[in-house]
Amino acid sequence: MDATPTLREPSQRVSPRARQMWRLEALVQGAFPTIGLVVLAGPVDAFDLPWWVWVLWALVLAAYVAIVPSWRYLVHRWEVTDTAVYTQTGWWVRERRIAPMSRIQTVDHVEGAVSRLFGLATVTVTTASAAGALGISGLDKEVARRLVDDLTVKADAVEGDAT
Amino acid sequence: MTEAAPSELARDAEWQRLDPRMLLVHPIREVLRYLPVIVVVVLGSTAAGGEQWQLIGVGIPVGLGLLRYLTTSFRISAGRIELRRGLLNRHVLSTPVDRVRTVDLTSSPIHRLLGLTKVRIGTGTASTSDEDRIDLDGLPLDRARALRVELLQTSTADDLAAPEQAEVDVVTFDPAWLWLAPLTGSGVVIAAAALGALSQLLQTTGFFESFDTQRVHAPGASPAVLVPLLVLAVLVVISLLSIGGYAVTNWGFRLTRSRAAKTWHLTRGLLTTRETTLDDDRLAGVTLSEPLGLRLARGARLSAIVTGLSKSQQGSSMLVPPAPRRVVERVARDVLDTPAPVDVDLLPHGPRATRRRWTRALLPALVVALGCVGAVVLDAPSWLLVGVLAVPVATLLAADRSRSLGHALVVGHLVSRSGCLVRRRRVIEVEHVIGWNLRATWFQRRAGLTTLVATTAGGSQAVPVLDVPEDEAVRVAHEALPDLLAQFTR
Repeated sequence: MDATPTLREPSQRVSPRARQMWRLEALVQGAFPTIGLVVLAGPVDAFDLPWWVWVLWALVLAAYVAIVPSWRYLVHRWEVTDTAVYTQTGWWVRERRIAPMSRIQTVDHVEGAVSRLFGLATVTVTTASAAGALGISGLDKEVARRLVDDLTVKADAVEGDAT
Repeated sequence: MTEAAPSELARDAEWQRLDPRMLLVHPIREVLRYLPVIVVVVLGSTAAGGEQWQLIGVGIPVGLGLLRYLTTSFRISAGRIELRRGLLNRHVLSTPVDRVRTVDLTSSPIHRLLGLTKVRIGTGTASTSDEDRIDLDGLPLDRARALRVELLQTSTADDLAAPEQAEVDVVTFDPAWLWLAPLTGSGVVIAAAALGALSQLLQTTGFFESFDTQRVHAPGASPAVLVPLLVLAVLVVISLLSIGGYAVTNWGFRLTRSRAAKTWHLTRGLLTTRETTLDDDRLAGVTLSEPLGLRLARGARLSAIVTGLSKSQQGSSMLVPPAPRRVVERVARDVLDTPAPVDVDLLPHGPRATRRRWTRALLPALVVALGCVGAVVLDAPSWLLVGVLAVPVATLLAADRSRSLGHALVVGHLVSRSGCLVRRRRVIEVEHVIGWNLRATWFQRRAGLTTLVATTAGGSQAVPVLDVPEDEAVRVAHEALPDLLAQFTR
């Protein structure tokens, strides 16, 4: 037994363009409640909000759009070896997931509407456990495609029904 | 029971219908289901004086039952189970025999009268739709049992183990367990549902409007006596209801093991009997849960983590209903085939995890308490001071939650324990762990803690080890599956 091993970060970063994608997503996410607020306070006249609530709201939103995508980019990493897949996602909550190649059930390649704008894709690797899906978002489209091929070949090489 | 007749699987190779006696079961059940409609139809027709209307009222359910019988058929051939049903929408369900995880036999009282049973074949599909279930509703009991044995043999062992099964009783029902029923969560749920229904009934009859506290004159009884009496009465009713519920589901409970066939066999039920068979190879581990009330009475219950059976199929994974702890522990040792995971002393998670329990419990409680005190100071009604009680409750909670925390890795089993209101000791065989999640919020990272989650294909899909120090989490994960983690450590 060597000294207590520590888990290192996965080696690969996602595409730098992912930051812009997440920023756009954050904007869209923030836009919906903002529109709701404006409509309720304006035309509908359901309530009156003091000016400082609007300022506070704008600050929170600005911080969310400015900081979170970069923070996410710092955290999101992935690595695939011959025997395992290792991902790290999140920002406030950091989640590291490791799944052995022998337990992989499906490999999913998704290009969402927003990610298509940036030439990005998401690869999701599922195992037989509902709690064990590994998702890597913000991958370059080409990298993602190669990754899917790679994973399919590697997962195929292992025997068993993966449960 | 060994029959000279050809094996059950061979007999089922051709398309065939379910047992004709279901023709009796379906109409009775449909009549019960449409009872209100039928009553209306019958009353309406007697008022109109017509006789033929009554015939239609009874005829529709009978016709539906007949239709269902005629359109449902199944066969088991070429390694597949196929179930065909529906008149307008033909529905053919097909699954490989070797995917069969569990076989449940359920007999309602009507079924039992006719010697029939409903066979539910569990394949571990993620679909929750009724349409995708393989239910053979209505086979004779002995045929169903034979079918179960053969299905599970095909799916597990290729060696034709002697069918005369040396079944060993592991645990059988003891009426003394009934006393534990009121202490379980389900007992309270049953009672709450009954009370809810009662209050709704009172509401609709206008009881609350006409009820006037001034008019209640029990001779020689003041409210100080009446209120405790009322509370006591409610408690007694709740207890009786939950004992009744427990008896109905668990009467005659019996868990047996057949080493030859490598299966666990479970029977229970007072009116509707239920037989479940679990395949030993798919038994990934057990969860020993102690809801607070049950824990105080030194009781517990046991469920199995079965690969391919998700949480929604909980009924199939129960191993022991609420029972004395020592019984439950003995069964757990038997099921795991080793006493260590049940008896081993767990490693505590250290002072940082304890501190986290305290802050998480106390901070909200303090906010509530201060809020209440502040409100009272600002002229709110004084009963709000009850909110201060949140602090001692939170203290107890935090103390107990920190004491519960623990984990261990022994003889190839990962053990983790946590919780207060429901304390759970989860045991999972390492070979059934299909991945690791290490989850940490910013606060957890600052405290050097992480929540290690062993994912698995059964039960609640994950066995969490809450707030364990980061290096310990890596050590456990590494020791459990060394080849996996070594490449990612430094």
